[in-house]
Amino acid sequence: MDQFASYMMTFSKFVMIILSASIMVRCIRSMLREKYEPETWAYLRVGRETLPVRHWENLIGRSRSADIRLDLEKISRVHAVLSRNDRGNWVVYDIFSKGGVWVNGLKVSPRGILLQDGDVINLAGHTARFLAIPPEKRDKLEAKRQPAGKVSPTLTLLELTVFQLFLLMQHAFNAKEEHLPAIALAFVSLIALEWSVYNAMRVIGRMGFEVETLAFYLTTLGMSVAASSTPEDMYKQILLTAAAVFLFVLGGWWLRNLHRTSVLRIPIAGAALLLLAVNVVASDVVLGARNWLEFGGYSFQPSELVKVAYIYVGASTLDLVFRRRNLFSFIVFSATCVIALALIGDFGTALVFFVTFLVISFLRSGSIATVFLAISGAGLAGFLAVSIRPYIAQRFASWGHVWEDIYDTGYQQTRAMSAAASGGLFGKGAGAGWLKSVFAANTDMVFAMVCEELGLVIALCMVLALLTLTFFAMRSAGSGRSAYYAIAACATMSLLLTQLALNVFGSLDLLPFTGVTFPFVSRGGSSLLSCWMLMAFLKSADSRREASFAVRPVNRMNDLSPRPEYGPEESRLPEEVRR
Amino acid sequence: MKKITTRAASVLLLAMLVIMGMNVYILRYIDQGRSWALTFARLNTESTGTVLDRNGELLAYFDANRNDYSSDQTTRIANYHVTGDYWGRTPTGVLTAFWSEMQGYSLLTGTTHNENSVLNLTIDAQLNRIAYYAIHDQKAAVLMMNYKTGELMAMISTPSVDPADPDEIPGDGAYINRCLSAVYAPGSVFKLVTAAAAIETIPNIFERSFYCEGEYEVAGVPITCIDAHYTQTFEQALSNSCNIAFAQIAIRVGQDTMVKYVRDFGFLDRQSLNGIKTAAGRFPTEFVGDPELGWAGVGQSIDLVCPYTMLRFVAAVGNGGVLCEPTMLLNGEEPVRSRFMSAETAERLGEMMNYNVVSHYGGEDVFPGLRLCAKTGTAERGDGTNNSWFAGFLDDDAHPYAFVVLVEGGSFGITSAAPIANTLLQAAVKKY
Repeated sequence: MDQFASYMMTFSKFVMIILSASIMVRCIRSMLREKYEPETWAYLRVGRETLPVRHWENLIGRSRSADIRLDLEKISRVHAVLSRNDRGNWVVYDIFSKGGVWVNGLKVSPRGILLQDGDVINLAGHTARFLAIPPEKRDKLEAKRQPAGKVSPTLTLLELTVFQLFLLMQHAFNAKEEHLPAIALAFVSLIALEWSVYNAMRVIGRMGFEVETLAFYLTTLGMSVAASSTPEDMYKQILLTAAAVFLFVLGGWWLRNLHRTSVLRIPIAGAALLLLAVNVVASDVVLGARNWLEFGGYSFQPSELVKVAYIYVGASTLDLVFRRRNLFSFIVFSATCVIALALIGDFGTALVFFVTFLVISFLRSGSIATVFLAISGAGLAGFLAVSIRPYIAQRFASWGHVWEDIYDTGYQQTRAMSAAASGGLFGKGAGAGWLKSVFAANTDMVFAMVCEELGLVIALCMVLALLTLTFFAMRSAGSGRSAYYAIAACATMSLLLTQLALNVFGSLDLLPFTGVTFPFVSRGGSSLLSCWMLMAFLKSADSRREASFAVRPVNRMNDLSPRPEYGPEESRLPEEVRR
Repeated sequence: MKKITTRAASVLLLAMLVIMGMNVYILRYIDQGRSWALTFARLNTESTGTVLDRNGELLAYFDANRNDYSSDQTTRIANYHVTGDYWGRTPTGVLTAFWSEMQGYSLLTGTTHNENSVLNLTIDAQLNRIAYYAIHDQKAAVLMMNYKTGELMAMISTPSVDPADPDEIPGDGAYINRCLSAVYAPGSVFKLVTAAAAIETIPNIFERSFYCEGEYEVAGVPITCIDAHYTQTFEQALSNSCNIAFAQIAIRVGQDTMVKYVRDFGFLDRQSLNGIKTAAGRFPTEFVGDPELGWAGVGQSIDLVCPYTMLRFVAAVGNGGVLCEPTMLLNGEEPVRSRFMSAETAERLGEMMNYNVVSHYGGEDVFPGLRLCAKTGTAERGDGTNNSWFAGFLDDDAHPYAFVVLVEGGSFGITSAAPIANTLLQAAVKKY
């Protein structure tokens, strides 16, 4: 029997590596092979040319990066924004162009004018006719687009399921008997959960499942880490995972409607600040950082929820990007968040926020000067922080020298590196490592723990999964409906990548050890919840046909039955237009 | 939207940084993963292992909870530089050098559980003990090998350490294996190298005579001898250890040729004893002019020699010009052979070395029963003491042993180093 067990163990290691690689390859392939074609929402007829309006938010101008490029005299590089709201109302905004914009002879302000089918837009003397698309024609156009699911998501998910079963088998060999039922239940529930989400998506006709598959892959590794390190808490882990996926679906559904999403930005910003304020004032000091709040037996990290809120608030629609050129309120909001986190003592998370801030502000402003200014400001603040808080300076001092003091300052990192190398390429088997008994192995040193138990190859797949999600976000962004979704998706991935870098390279002594979590994999309920919620932003940017549940299908939209009394722009319309 | 998409490339920058970081990690992992893994491996893999000498005497034993050495203190101290210790303070020790094999580690599989991996050494722990007693309290390096099989039989470096006594205050440079990791001015023992080069390159060297008045000027720079040796043959010049004769010979051979031989004999490079790297020696390789070359030919100038490299040289001479590469591992493998010099050169040089012993070192009166071929060396350290060398081999098919003895801060080679060699060789001949 022992012989059989070790044989199965070796076999499962190879199978798991092959499956991991295959899952990654399939997800990347579906990204490369499928066309991320933008939709067509309306036309703009300029002279004899009919230009398609590809997004909900379109930049009109002479610039190469304009969505509707009019390389004509007197047209500014960025001239106007043509945008659509959820109810199908189209509005044109003049974004401080030199030549000006008129609709049916009325001067357009930066606050915009509502468009009707057939309206004539005058852009610095050039006329363009706005043509809406009737529903039948739009359905036809939509049918021409390539649907998602070219690389069968069912097969990918099946591979993941087999991976999970082999992982469970490894745990079955190594876990204590008393923990076995809970571990088995955890993996089985995870499989049930992913298949029910998948089937629900199929029922509503959505075939883009790459994001979910990768997130479930990472969650599986997180489940394995939990089963190794805290098998007594498996039931909690099951509940948390279910809750996280529920919040993901809820978030995606919420994001479908850009109007309600935008309306909630200010309240959410307030809530985030309030949460941080509560955190600063009343929280437990755990390991130098006061980033925990206790709630009836459950401790949670407010900063994790604030991450979601931060991106929710930070992303912005295109018209706002060009109408409000300064980022003043966003900078104040960001600075408040970062300072609050610094006060709490969670410098790792503060750094994660800061990098995300840089990305968002660059996406919104396109100004490298702003980024440099922010970096130098932060450098100064960081210098102050290091001089005020000696324990941070100490982390910097031991950085790169961890092997010189393996019993004190380098205690965790040296053990992490040793365990990671102990695993070789194939790992010692799930649950068979020794690092799990070292403090914070399942959070700060989780990369090493995965290396040790599942091997370097799977640990690299874990990194690759997040990189793949990043490329997915960037690719979706190009065909996304709104800049809001594109910015949110890119900001999400830069936040998670920063976390990954700090977590992995911190534990491997390539960066100072800051103690942030590895997305999805590190043990921690609030972290898992926030990671899944963030995935909703990725889904909302994916506008391939029949791909994402967070994107409303085109044929359910009613662009040609505008209700002028509705919409935020309506209240801002000049008197003449309202009539 | 396009604008945003273009700007989104900034996220790629982060992704690139992550990819770069992972690459750095993977490179480091390949390079250092072994030492990382082994640092905490044993406690976790519970591997066990033993180090044994050539007769099966226990030198070290470890399991998950124990780091043991021989139970006998003298054995531990006399063999310290062979075994090294579990903390890796002596990197050339087998416990460090072969740790990953004994523990069970490879890049692919990581650490593995090894049940009693045994490392059989060619070293004779008893010979080490005998040599250790003969050294007394001096700082010394002693090496002895079988030049026909390459088996390294004795290797002692003093001052040594008792690895089982963690509170001991170690002597000066006690963790350094002087046999492998140190280099010394060779003094006259280097004349063997010059002689080998001369036999191979100067025609009729044995018919030539050399004249010494005690001082000789080369390009205005004096080269001196302790005594005036007057007219002497090549053989006599070596046994007289005449600086003037050998300076002339080195100049005659020429710097380029000298450097070629010194390099071919391995004196300039780090050698590898079963993968354990030894120290590289030194000889003037840039043009220095005749006076300096003369001094370099007699083992002065900037010359530095690692005792281990000198052992390889005398072993090759003893084995008819062919070196059996030394090994510490008793695994029945055929030795790796390489030709150092022609058989004739080796034979003539061996005869000269035997003539040294018979005519100057006291022959069988001092080395009873041994057909010894050797050369002394005495390099002044500038503080009134010398590095005393004694290197050579037994011309004896039943006991084909080559040896090097170096005493740091000794007096003359013949008085400080030769007695240690004699004690060791006598014991070896008696035992085997």
